[in-house]
Amino acid sequence: MLTCKEQVARSSDYLDGQLSFRETLMVRHHLLFCPSCRRFMRQMRLMQATLKAMPEQPEENIDALAERLADERRNNSP
Amino acid sequence: MAADDTELLARLLAGEQKAFKELVTAYQSAMRAVAYAIVGQRHVEEVVQDAWLSVVRHLGGFEGRSSLKTWLLTITANSARNRYKLNRREVLLDDLPSPHGTIDDDRFSASDGHWLIAPFAWHQDTPEALLTESELRNCLEHTLLSLSELQRSVLLLRERQGLELEEICNLLQISLSNVRVLLHRARLKVFATVEHFEETGEC
Repeated sequence: MLTCKEQVARSSDYLDGQLSFRETLMVRHHLLFCPSCRRFMRQMRLMQATLKAMPEQPEENIDALAERLADERRNNSP
Repeated sequence: MAADDTELLARLLAGEQKAFKELVTAYQSAMRAVAYAIVGQRHVEEVVQDAWLSVVRHLGGFEGRSSLKTWLLTITANSARNRYKLNRREVLLDDLPSPHGTIDDDRFSASDGHWLIAPFAWHQDTPEALLTESELRNCLEHTLLSLSELQRSVLLLRERQGLELEEICNLLQISLSNVRVLLHRARLKVFATVEHFEETGEC
């Protein structure tokens, strides 16, 4: 059975589907019996979702850039 | 080609300004993240500008063998490399210190590998609830800026731009095992920041 430390070391690979079938089962088996690691994995997923939901820096001058690119395209099209 | 891409491409080829605005809005931050990974903060804007011009010039030759997004990001990566001829000497796996540390060996018993200090239970269970705390948002920005440029880029390309690991490898020309290491270290640092904030209420 994996230790908690080993489980944490594999956590990103588990989330990204990078573990072998056998290692995936080992992680699942550990999670089944370990509430602390279940909490850790739940919070890792929450952290991922939080990064995704963070507001982006608003893009500046999009209109000017779009205008320039559209002009460039019209001037260059055959 | 995906239906969305086909429709947008036709409008881009026609030189429709609104279509370019949609393109910039949808993809410029991903392009910036790719440029950042290759040339660093100082030259990001130049590379992104180069990439846009290259995109416009080559739009007619886009054949839809990849998604529009992948094509744009590939052009960005090439622009970054062409401009600086930076052959990355070696992948910098440098692990810089982060404001709230990481989940490291100290958290586990040396004898049996169990948690010595179990993960602290966060008060919130949705991203929206977590992000209502403006201090946590600032705190997360601060942690992201503390990561090495490559570590930060890989994290953002994966979590915010939703790229597959293989795409990240191809764009940045680094190995899968390096991407996995960079991503894992970055995630643990961000995890430690949220945990610290949830535990202390402070950044």
